[in-house]
Amino acid sequence: MNEKYLVGVFDDEHTLVDAFEKAIEKGVVIEEVYTPYPIHEILQGMKTRTHITHAAFFYGLLGVILLHGGMYYAAVLSWPMQFGGKPSNTFPSFIVVAIVGTILTITLLTLLTFSVRSKIYPGRKAKIIDIRATDDKFIILLNQDNMGIEKDAIIKLFRSNGASEVYEKDANTTDKQLSNEL
Amino acid sequence: MDSTIDKLVVQKNFKYLMYAFIGIGIISLAAGFMLDPDRAWANYLLNNYYFVSLAIGAAFFGAIQYISQSGWSAAFKRIPEAMASYIPVAGVLFLILYFGMHTLFQWSRDGITATDSLLAHKAVYLNIPFFFLRLVLFFGLWIVMIRLLRKISLKEDAEGGMTFFYKSEKYSKILIFIIAVSFTLFAIDMIMSLEPDWFSAIFAAKSFIAAFLHASTVIALIAIILYRLGYFPMLNNSHLHDFSRYIFMLSLVWGYFNFVEFMLIWYGNIPAETVFFVKRSGGAFGALFFVNIALNWLIPFLFLMPRMTSRSKVFLLPVIVLMMIGQYTELYYYIWPAVVHGAKFGILEIGTYLGFLGLFALVVTNTLSKASLVPRNHPYLEESIYHQF
Repeated sequence: MNEKYLVGVFDDEHTLVDAFEKAIEKGVVIEEVYTPYPIHEILQGMKTRTHITHAAFFYGLLGVILLHGGMYYAAVLSWPMQFGGKPSNTFPSFIVVAIVGTILTITLLTLLTFSVRSKIYPGRKAKIIDIRATDDKFIILLNQDNMGIEKDAIIKLFRSNGASEVYEKDANTTDKQLSNEL
Repeated sequence: MDSTIDKLVVQKNFKYLMYAFIGIGIISLAAGFMLDPDRAWANYLLNNYYFVSLAIGAAFFGAIQYISQSGWSAAFKRIPEAMASYIPVAGVLFLILYFGMHTLFQWSRDGITATDSLLAHKAVYLNIPFFFLRLVLFFGLWIVMIRLLRKISLKEDAEGGMTFFYKSEKYSKILIFIIAVSFTLFAIDMIMSLEPDWFSAIFAAKSFIAAFLHASTVIALIAIILYRLGYFPMLNNSHLHDFSRYIFMLSLVWGYFNFVEFMLIWYGNIPAETVFFVKRSGGAFGALFFVNIALNWLIPFLFLMPRMTSRSKVFLLPVIVLMMIGQYTELYYYIWPAVVHGAKFGILEIGTYLGFLGLFALVVTNTLSKASLVPRNHPYLEESIYHQF
């Protein structure tokens, strides 16, 4: 896996969004954008809509059903509970446990889904394109095999729209030199 | 700047319709007082409380916008202001309750303290002079604070500058503390003391959240109606999303409080507390218990959860209307078993509601038409107009 990237570095949100929107307009295929915080224009422009919220809703539904079923089984079917003359099926009090249990179910299952979908697991080496993206710089990443338009045109576009730096990079080279400079 | 364009012009036909509503209300109440005074007084209390809780909730909504320095709502701040301007009118209407005290409130009846030792114990707080003293005090505080905030807001329109914003924020902070204490006691006086033997610690918090929730829905409703009439051209999906977030969040809190109250009473199983729900378990009230939960929590919870529906007027409008009905059924559920002792619903209820609705709409539109609909010099106005997320 030796992909060649083109990296555009921007100093602030406005120049990044400007360049991003102009690039999209010209038909540039953008691989990824790294920003210190989420930006609405980028989220919409990348058209990467997530369905994890829908998944979370159905995990919640599953949690509610399983928890109520489990408590009903434990308190009524398997061993009918006798508490001070109350009926075995103490439904309204199941809800308290179900709320907390549902939150836990949703949290764990969405975390698992997210990890599987984005291939994150404990001990995986992080793929950092530009170490400064973890600090305060805004990075637009292009894959040189599929950029949409000519490389020179893109470099020109980025530079004329306030990119502080545009450089090429192999996926395998480390950032040692750069991080030393910082 | 031309001041005639950006003010709300109330159509003559609308005014006549609202006068007709008030007429219907007066006629049905008058007929009610002659035929069935208990029910008429119950109607009078319910509708009075219904609309004053909308006004207080709106005042609170406006105060929260200042305290959180919210940008998105700046263009719509005249709506809560206008709704809060109903409070002085409501104050006068509440004083008329004096003539219905014995019908509505068991604890106020002559000689009841001699037979009921619990009420004799509570008589220090629940007695007619102190009841009306509290009423006057609460309304006095609310009117003073709301007039003050309105005056600052109008001055800001005329002169501009940041000082008025900071002043509004300061007085909003005072207002929410006043509302927290006074509305708590007000809800206890007006609704909980209908069943003087019963008490619930979370009742006041629940009433307050219901007021805040339903005021938010009505603010959104007025904003949408005015948009349809062409007054808020800047109202976009993002504003609607913020309105529906308020509704969604508050309906969750409402559902939580409602459940907490019921669950603890059900689980604790103390006769002094369960009597409230035992009285309301049979027949129509048993069904109304679930209707309340469906209208005020389940429907907004399901329909306002997806991003698509919470940004569309087509979905938001029916939910708002259902929640306005939900506020009515909730109060009906409290008041009717205590005063009327039966689920009677008919022309009297609808007529009285229309009467109060007409009065409320007249007061609100009148206040809206007095100042420019979109505030002119609010520091967050630009942010509000171009709000987008």
